[in-house]
Amino acid sequence: MLALALRGLGARKLRSALTAFAILLGVAMVAGTFMLKGSLDTAFDDIFATANEGIDVTVQPKLAFDSGFDTPASGVSVPASLIKRIEAVDGVSKAAGDIGDDTSIAILDENGDRIGPAGGGPPQIANNALPEPFNPFTWTDGGAPTSDDEVAIDSITADEEGYEVGQTISISGREGVKEYTLSGIGRFGSGVPLGGASLAVFTTPEVQRITDMKGKYDSIDVEAAEGVSPEELRNRINDALPSKYEAQTGEEAAAEQSSDIKDGFGFLTTALLVFAGISVFVGAFLIFNTFSITVAQRTSEFGMLRTLGASSRQVLASVIVEALLLGVLASLLGIALGFGFVQLVTAAFKAIGFELPQSGVVVPTVAIVAPLIVGVVATLLSAVIPAIRATRVTPLEALRDTATADERTTRRRAWIARLLVLVGVVAIGYGLFGTASFGGALPLLGLGLILLFVGVAMLAGSLVSPLASLVGRPIEALRGVTGRLARENTLRNPSRTAVTSAALMIGVALVVFAAIFAKSANKSVADALDQTYVGDMAITNTDGFSPFSPSVGRAVAKLPGVETVSPIGGAGALVDGKTVIITGLDSNLTSVANLDWTDGDDATFENLRPDQAIAEEQWAADHGIAVGDQVEVTAQSGRKVTVEVAGTVRDEVQLLVPTLALPIDTVRAKFDSNVDFLDLVGFEADADVDQTEAAVKALVEKRFPQAQAQSQQELKDSQSDAINQLLAVIYVLLALSVIISLFGVVNTLVLTIYERTREIGMLRAIGASRSQIRRMVRYESLITAMIGAIIGAVIGIAVAVAAVEALSDEGLVLGIPVVGIVLVLILAGLAGILAGFWPARRASKIEVMEALQYE
Amino acid sequence: MTIDFPSGELTAIVGPSGSGKSTLMHLLAGLDKPTGGQAWIDGVEVTALDDKGLTELRRHKLGFIFQFFNLVPVLTAVENVELPLKIAGDPIDEEWRDRLLETVGLTDRADHRPAELSGGQQQRVAVARALISRPAVIFADEPTGNLDSTSSTGVLELLRSSVAELDQTVIVVTHDPKVASYADRVVVLADGRIAADEKISGEQQVIDLMRDV
Repeated sequence: MLALALRGLGARKLRSALTAFAILLGVAMVAGTFMLKGSLDTAFDDIFATANEGIDVTVQPKLAFDSGFDTPASGVSVPASLIKRIEAVDGVSKAAGDIGDDTSIAILDENGDRIGPAGGGPPQIANNALPEPFNPFTWTDGGAPTSDDEVAIDSITADEEGYEVGQTISISGREGVKEYTLSGIGRFGSGVPLGGASLAVFTTPEVQRITDMKGKYDSIDVEAAEGVSPEELRNRINDALPSKYEAQTGEEAAAEQSSDIKDGFGFLTTALLVFAGISVFVGAFLIFNTFSITVAQRTSEFGMLRTLGASSRQVLASVIVEALLLGVLASLLGIALGFGFVQLVTAAFKAIGFELPQSGVVVPTVAIVAPLIVGVVATLLSAVIPAIRATRVTPLEALRDTATADERTTRRRAWIARLLVLVGVVAIGYGLFGTASFGGALPLLGLGLILLFVGVAMLAGSLVSPLASLVGRPIEALRGVTGRLARENTLRNPSRTAVTSAALMIGVALVVFAAIFAKSANKSVADALDQTYVGDMAITNTDGFSPFSPSVGRAVAKLPGVETVSPIGGAGALVDGKTVIITGLDSNLTSVANLDWTDGDDATFENLRPDQAIAEEQWAADHGIAVGDQVEVTAQSGRKVTVEVAGTVRDEVQLLVPTLALPIDTVRAKFDSNVDFLDLVGFEADADVDQTEAAVKALVEKRFPQAQAQSQQELKDSQSDAINQLLAVIYVLLALSVIISLFGVVNTLVLTIYERTREIGMLRAIGASRSQIRRMVRYESLITAMIGAIIGAVIGIAVAVAAVEALSDEGLVLGIPVVGIVLVLILAGLAGILAGFWPARRASKIEVMEALQYE
Repeated sequence: MTIDFPSGELTAIVGPSGSGKSTLMHLLAGLDKPTGGQAWIDGVEVTALDDKGLTELRRHKLGFIFQFFNLVPVLTAVENVELPLKIAGDPIDEEWRDRLLETVGLTDRADHRPAELSGGQQQRVAVARALISRPAVIFADEPTGNLDSTSSTGVLELLRSSVAELDQTVIVVTHDPKVASYADRVVVLADGRIAADEKISGEQQVIDLMRDV
């Protein structure tokens, strides 16, 4: 049977190749993702091992909680005086303060713009020059800065920008732009790319000045004396220092820093794997369909084998083994193609200015094993139902030409399909409306969608007829008999058409869902901005979300025409055992923003005492907090601050009061946060708006290039730009699954054309031209694609509307991109025609003679 | 070899397998290119036509009847009959269509799909389809090869009457003397040559002719 399966694959080369391709692409994405992760992990380990080389022990403030993606790092620091106390510990040979600040500086080009990609880009990190053995740089040219007017730059950035020692470089710090002389160029560690990040090394006093860290350090580096192990020294220091400081060995610190950033990149791996999963899922439809069709076409072959004495198990085995071989072969090729995927992703990141840190592609075992399992299992699962069908072929059926579908199985299938749809809808509904957390909703949503897609694909057989009419009739009216035949051909085997189009349905449903969700998010943000920000301008970081120096707002406030600059600060904090973002608001906020009071009014806010706060109503309700309550808030430094809730506001979009808002001075003083996330600017009533706007922009651009000042409209635009960029990335990732589904259309068409060889020859005999045959096939392809696109669009719209409804209490307002959806449908149709192109050519080459061939 | 098929005649080309009868039909119908020689139909040199010309020829001057009926399974009987005209983009002569349906005895089954018709009925639909465009010649390749004897008789009588009543020219390729006995004239092929070419009457004469070869 193995030999038979091998022959089968060989004999149906084209079909096998197309089918293999369906698995291959998804598998390549899985393999590539794991390779990418392996490469990144290795590179990060390398970077942080280098950064901590020569450091036996490092002393840092002990944090009450880790900052992460949703809780910004606070500027918790250690005082310079700690160095003396550490030096006093027995076994310490040397100790030095260390600063590495990635939010304060911008290295500027000759035009005064931040180097690297526009609108943000990888971090630029300000470091102090460290004494040996802590210094991670090898000076390839010049040396460390020795005066406050000098800076040294890492070699990769220097190469990229063409820096030469002795030249002048402008760098903007917290207090504005300053010119420095380049004292040296240094290779960081082994010279591993830093992911596009740039390192600037200053003297210690200078770095403290430009990062607002006077008298403070991020950490203290310690060298152990001869004969003292790092572990021993760590324990001694921990014993000697108060518990708000924590000593780690250099290796421990490197591992922790590396694992933190790896976690940060975890979302990339997860996202890529989700899209790889979608591709594999779509590929599974294709495999299922191909095996179904070939099993049907081989009915007589199986019957013949049975008459020769083959057991039904042997027939089953022959199909399963064929699937297994195909799965293994395609997966292995897919793994090889994974390298290409890594290069593609790397190139894509490089193109937008984020060079992924890599020291060559690393292939962890999981990058081989996981895709192999995924590919083989997906293939086998998809082939198992067709294989079981093959076993039902009796010798007698071999003699009959057409195998008729069993009425009972058809009905049972319909019930299973309805059950799947029902469970899918319930899972989606429960995920959206029943679970409190986003994290809990996503797996349910995913599972629900999978069930829904499979169920709809099974049921779609009965939808094919009306939809084929909907799409086919206009073609028929325009193009006559070829359109008619194309439409009828899609109805010949509705379940086959359904499964073929279902593959495209998945991609279209997800695209439509994403488009509606993005439009809704855009609309909600725009509405919220309109309602909340009533000032004239807003200042943000150039990347739109990172913090920036409060000096920016202070400088803008001094401009003529500017009446109010209201800074909005924030910090991560621990409330009720959960990490949240608290915001710090200035009492002048009410002149540039509307607060939607549910308890209290603007006066409540203006009179807020340093030990008071206002709370977001929904959040407060969820945590059982009411006006008048005392709430304990823990800062990252571990300091506990108790505030009294003075009022509540609604802030669904979490612009100003996501949880608790404290007076900004309290946040700055007690939460170690000396940054702003947003400054709202209001002009004087009689100010010339255009002139003042221009003046603010000019000031920010010239003195603080890491920040940007935008009008209301520009702010809204840049917010929607950010969402649309994300949407574009999602489209690109979904494109792969759409491509796979088009291969499904090609595959089905090729197989059905093969089935209809004689009929097509007859059509030629009775006068059909080659181009008529081509048209007929292309229309069939178009109709099939459109059926999938229409069902997909309906599912996408339904799920998106439900999702937006579920998130309506987070302020999401439904927006339907009608033009976008129509465009998706048109593109699906064009893709259908494209998919039909090659099968149509094959069909048109069929000669009349083939209609005359005897069996 | 040189051979003429005058219009309004039913000619049978017979011969054993490998005698070249199918090849002759393929060449006559422009389905195959000869290495030398010419074929003419109704004043058109078939062997000189390109694919486009052949398509035109098939639309207006040729009709085909196949052994396996080869109806489009998704179309009804009447739609199958009309198909050649629709493909050619020609108007449908409804009177002619109805007359043909009546002649083949399928007026009351016109809206049935092929799967709902018997083999004989399907082949009669195929005959009507071949006649619909009033072609110069109809080629029938083993038209009864897949039918029982009752159905065969029906189809053959239909071909006979289409010649007699509609003045249609029909060329039948067969190895069956009974089929050939319906013809006005029988051409017997053997080893690629014409072994006999005679007007006939009766099945026995055909059998004798074929035996002589």
